Amino acid sequence: MKYITIIYGNKDLWQSFTPDEAAGAIAEVDAFNRRYKESGELLGAYGLGDELTAKTVRVRDGVPAVTDGPYIDAKEFVSSFFLLDVESEERALDIAADYPFASHNAVEVWPILHESGAEM
Amino acid sequence: MSDEERVEDLLRGLAPQVLGALVRRHSAFDLCEDAVQDALVDAAKQWPTGGIPDNPRAWLTTVATRRLVDRVRSDHSRRQREERVLVGSPQAEFMTALDEEAVQDRDDSLILLLICCHPALSPPTQIALTLRAVGGLTTAEIAGAFFVPETTMAQRISRAKQGIRDAGATFSIPPPSDMESRIRAVLHVLYLIFNEGYTTSSGDEITRTDLTHEAIRLTRQLHTLRPDDAEVKGLLALMLLTEARRPARVDAAGRLVDLADQDRDLWNHSLIEEGVHLVTDALEQGSPGAYQIQAAIAAIHDEAEDPDDTDWPQILLLYQLLDRLAPNPMATLNRSLALALVEGPQAGLDLLATLDYDKRVASHHRLFAIRGQLLEMAGDQAGAREAFETAARRCTSLPERAYLQDRACATRRRK
Repeated sequence: MKYITIIYGNKDLWQSFTPDEAAGAIAEVDAFNRRYKESGELLGAYGLGDELTAKTVRVRDGVPAVTDGPYIDAKEFVSSFFLLDVESEERALDIAADYPFASHNAVEVWPILHESGAEM
Repeated sequence: MSDEERVEDLLRGLAPQVLGALVRRHSAFDLCEDAVQDALVDAAKQWPTGGIPDNPRAWLTTVATRRLVDRVRSDHSRRQREERVLVGSPQAEFMTALDEEAVQDRDDSLILLLICCHPALSPPTQIALTLRAVGGLTTAEIAGAFFVPETTMAQRISRAKQGIRDAGATFSIPPPSDMESRIRAVLHVLYLIFNEGYTTSSGDEITRTDLTHEAIRLTRQLHTLRPDDAEVKGLLALMLLTEARRPARVDAAGRLVDLADQDRDLWNHSLIEEGVHLVTDALEQGSPGAYQIQAAIAAIHDEAEDPDDTDWPQILLLYQLLDRLAPNPMATLNRSLALALVEGPQAGLDLLATLDYDKRVASHHRLFAIRGQLLEMAGDQAGAREAFETAARRCTSLPERAYLQDRACATRRRK
């Protein structure tokens, strides 16, 4: 079963890290990625740009309109996500709990029901 | 070098020559390109064990020509294609090795570059096709360099070939009236390949040396084909003078190092020497262009033994010239930094403010990064921090983002 795991955050959280803490956090995430890539359970991990760089597209009467910022107006935004292919939901939750940022914020786990177009 | 590497090297050099010879005879670029790829695969399989043939190019040309005939015959719309490819070429010619004169090769390579950078194609397809047809890189290598799945890159290349067919690009030297603009398009593609290698636009690696090396190799090739073109010299010089600084650009921890803080002993001085010689030679021809001027600016940085020795007034003059010759908000951004170093931070900030409503750069991280630097020079640490933080948030390259966050933190310490 495949799962998407979503990590949220905001500017204040990221800026609360000193450069050394940030470098340490990146190293922990790298180690996490390696660990589950090797076990074959991590399909891919993706870190996103800041919400300032997000755009929202709406098509009305056939005309696309692009606005700056994310669709959902919230204090926290998606900052990264990773895709898992694991034997059980329990295993997905274990891996989520192992993610370094789970101890700072929450990590969301969603089952994936449909997939197409991926080269895997 | 192992046998396999030697074969790979040889094939990479021969691929564009063989493709050029085939396209010149049979014109159908897309089919010829497929046939050459087939022949390269055959060679890569057979040569390392069976030995390299006496005349490798004739071998490849013969095999590629046979493969072309096979492809034409087995194709669905066989009859149409046969007419398109075979008309005008006596059948016997397909079976003999087409060994051409060296002078013909030079023209062939140039025409291939012009075709791959045809203005009807979008820049990403121009880049992909140039790397494959002229650079001799495999689809997998190109896909790896741009972090996309191989199927995605294969599609992009096949769309590029389709685009060439639709545009009716012919295998001949364009008329002199078009030549200048076609060469500019080639230079732009080579510049984009180099830039993508030097400052990857996304991802966590700051440089992709495979791409910078390929861009330099292809530009060198173009320079031998057009030895008197000052802008070709300028672009080659710009690449060499930029590449020369690469060893000092990232520290041991993988963090980006500002030009002023780089260990200049690590710079590649033979590349600097070659670049300086090229740009000097180009400028003496008296037809300055955007690449020559950017190369001249890079040369001034590279020739300063200490950052404090940098001739900023001269750099400012060159940026003014660049702005007049090829107006571009990115050049204005860099000019504001030079202006600040010559006339003081406020002059730079005033110039920077003129870009606030320029859609092309108003939200670009570099605008905020330079503003941060100038505010820092002006002693406004709080303003500088805010600008660096915004720059970091707007940046989509991880190493650059980390660098900008460090700069933001540093302003706190200075308060």
